[in-house]
Amino acid sequence: MTSAPTQSAPVEPDPTPAGDPPLQRILIATGRVARHAGLPVVIALLVGAVVLLATGNDPIAVYGRLATEAFGTPSRINATLAATTPILFTAIAAAFAYRAGVFTVGVEGSFVLGGLTAAVIGANMGGFPPVVAVILPLLGATLAGGLVAAVPAVLRAVWSVDEVVTTLMFNFIVAGLAGWAVQSFFQERGQANSATAYVAENAELPALAPPGQTSWALIIGLLLLIGYAVWMRRSTLGFEFRAVGSAPRFSTAQGLRVRTVLLTALLGAGLIGGLGGGSHALGIVHRYSEGFSASFGFTGIAIALLARFNPIGILVGAILFGALNAAGATVQLFINLPVQLIDILEGTVMIFAVAVFAFPRLSKRWAARSERRRP
Amino acid sequence: MSSTSTASVPGSGPAAIRCRIGARGVSRSFGPVRANVDVTLSVRPGTVHAVVGENGAGKSTLMRILYGLDQPDSGHVVIDDEEIALTSPRAAIARRIGLVQQELAIIPELSLLENLVLGEEPVRFGRIDWATALRRAEELSASVGVDIDWKAGAALTSIAIQQQVEILRLVYRGADVLILDEPTAVLAPAQAEELLRLLSSLRDAGRTVIFISHKLDEVVGVADHITVLRSGRTITEIARGEIDREGLAALIVGDSEVAERSVSRGDPGETVLVVEGVSAKDDRAVLRLDDVSFEVRSGEILGVAAVAGNGQEELAEVLIGIRGAASGDIRLDGASIGRASIRKRRLAGLGYVSADRKHEGLALGLSLADNSIATPALHGLARGGWLGPRRVAERVKEVLDRAAVRYGSSSDPASSLSGGNQQRVVLGRETIGNPRVLVASQPTRGVDVRGIGYIHELLRRARDEGAAIVLFSEELDELRELSDRIVVLHRGQVAGMLPGEASRSEIGALMLGNHSPEDDNPDADVPDDPTPGHPRSPRGGETV
Repeated sequence: MTSAPTQSAPVEPDPTPAGDPPLQRILIATGRVARHAGLPVVIALLVGAVVLLATGNDPIAVYGRLATEAFGTPSRINATLAATTPILFTAIAAAFAYRAGVFTVGVEGSFVLGGLTAAVIGANMGGFPPVVAVILPLLGATLAGGLVAAVPAVLRAVWSVDEVVTTLMFNFIVAGLAGWAVQSFFQERGQANSATAYVAENAELPALAPPGQTSWALIIGLLLLIGYAVWMRRSTLGFEFRAVGSAPRFSTAQGLRVRTVLLTALLGAGLIGGLGGGSHALGIVHRYSEGFSASFGFTGIAIALLARFNPIGILVGAILFGALNAAGATVQLFINLPVQLIDILEGTVMIFAVAVFAFPRLSKRWAARSERRRP
Repeated sequence: MSSTSTASVPGSGPAAIRCRIGARGVSRSFGPVRANVDVTLSVRPGTVHAVVGENGAGKSTLMRILYGLDQPDSGHVVIDDEEIALTSPRAAIARRIGLVQQELAIIPELSLLENLVLGEEPVRFGRIDWATALRRAEELSASVGVDIDWKAGAALTSIAIQQQVEILRLVYRGADVLILDEPTAVLAPAQAEELLRLLSSLRDAGRTVIFISHKLDEVVGVADHITVLRSGRTITEIARGEIDREGLAALIVGDSEVAERSVSRGDPGETVLVVEGVSAKDDRAVLRLDDVSFEVRSGEILGVAAVAGNGQEELAEVLIGIRGAASGDIRLDGASIGRASIRKRRLAGLGYVSADRKHEGLALGLSLADNSIATPALHGLARGGWLGPRRVAERVKEVLDRAAVRYGSSSDPASSLSGGNQQRVVLGRETIGNPRVLVASQPTRGVDVRGIGYIHELLRRARDEGAAIVLFSEELDELRELSDRIVVLHRGQVAGMLPGEASRSEIGALMLGNHSPEDDNPDADVPDDPTPGHPRSPRGGETV
């Protein structure tokens, strides 16, 4: 009966295989990801197929075209990875907080303010040496992201104010603040929509394979992912993150640093989200404009849940959603397919990613039901 | 009520039902764990039937199967001499079977009466007929000889009363077979006795009762028949009077390894823990601890005895720091820790075994390794904030070996262990660094006979290594066996301090607030009835 402890609570991470060698650990983790994340994806594809059939399309042809558009050529892979980059950051940010049982939805706000900050600083980096010209805006972006999370973090850690409400509200505040700041102070002349000036050339994160859009931001994201994995596993505070996230009352009674964990979880998610926004501004958009974030913060939540905070799962999930975004943008050039269908697919994956937590319970019920039919 | 000592073979007798409820050849496995193997149980109508066995012997699985919560892999449930497939609790209820689980399903916001009739309220002109409901409730409680204030809010009554209400709710809904999973585990001795009397009256009224218990005295005293399970198999069925406590313990364990009730006292040294005039309130701001003072010395076990709800839960929480003291101070080796955080207290050398193992003692979803090192002492295994895997692995092995935990891999989740083994992990972790003080709250609750022995041994070892131990237990025999001194709490006050050798009746008298002969405290003479200040003061306590 105790075979599936991970399925008892939605935010319970898998127990850590402590003693196994690294390679074996990675294999175990990959298998787990395939189990947890594979099923929702397959179900979502089936649901999508039904929708496609109902709208008179050939599912196999559409899916084939989607796959080609995502991974078919080096330039398409490049586009997929470019789309992967921002949601890789936001997924790490979300997973970081969720590990501690803190359900922040504020990564979106941190991403936005981080992007604006990096764009503004980056536009003024004209005379600086290249490395400094990149690091300063990213630093500013990171701090800005942390700033967005600071108030909810203190409210949560000190007064136990629900973080879902506060971080959600701060998203609205930040969205309004960013729009107002751009229009009032940073609006580039001659731009119809509200957008800042382009960043100085030496402040751009260089593309890895021009003319493709994938930039050094992806490398930063991957390093961050590795840092996240090692930190959670090896640091004392990472250990306390897992303990607090998995068993809060236990952690309190054990005298673990619960308050520090809650504070760090929210602030850290904000900092990472801000860095993500900054990297996105310097690496791809090269400025801040309205619609800077295509709900990347929320896609990050779905990926973190789909991956159950597992680093490999986060990478796979980010690539999957990146592929959907990249392919969705171009597939309609070839097929008469409403772009909304891509949104439906994404939404379905998200729903089943969350619903899969209920599967063990369902399968138990099915087992009981088949038992009942037995004579 | 025949008292055959073999499992009955139904169908051989006359028309009268021989087996009201039972199991025939029931097997049930969970992965590699064989919880029930060819289990046979036969409960005669109108009897009290006890099911005993070690933790993990398969008792709870069997109860779940009898109530339709779980289905056997093979074999059958027998109801009224007839093999049937019990596919759901609904089917069980239809056969007039009811189950009281360990976690009570009482809604604290409602009154006891509302709890009783919930879902089957008597209705008159489309409205709930509370007069009829109350009349029925009072008839019901009178018929089994219990005294319940039906209009009281459930939250303000003791757990013993709530449990009685839950049992009566099943009767109210027409249950004729009552299955109780360790009903006395959370009750104080006097409350347990009252519950057992209730079970006897239900039996005398023609109902059938099955109960699980680890308390062999009550099993021997109350049950008409006893079925012993060991490693998922039925070992034997015994009729009342055919066996005593020791014989039953031997059957349960399965070999002659029943520990003699050895009594060993400590060799107390210097005073380590001083509790000075500590008062504390519960979550509803009701004063539960009133000016409590005592000292504990190194190498000494101080037992704390009290009827449930008389402040011992709060005292344990105040000592570790989960609950703040309203006034007074606590000193450890002379330094005040009364206002310190849990973290500081632990770093000062305080260990804690929580009564709530599942939520406070362990993180069930985390690995054994994680559970073994989750204390502020964690930082001793780290350098610059990073854990050294080798040092962690060594510490984990130390903890698990110290407590002789039986486990597969230290990366297994704590939930994969049995209750007794889980508690060993807790004790191993809390005693590893030679704590100055160990607060142990109900350390053997829900642990089987053999496991209790190990836990006692671990406590004695910590004591011999110099810890000052404060032991909270609802088992008077356990307190008497382990304690050098016993402090008795009554209504949040120290009712008296007794030597460890004190008799059950001496301790019991103080627990109920009666004047003890040696005690000249005039306050202890106050008549014993619940006062508004102590709403949870259990009524069951007055009858001993």
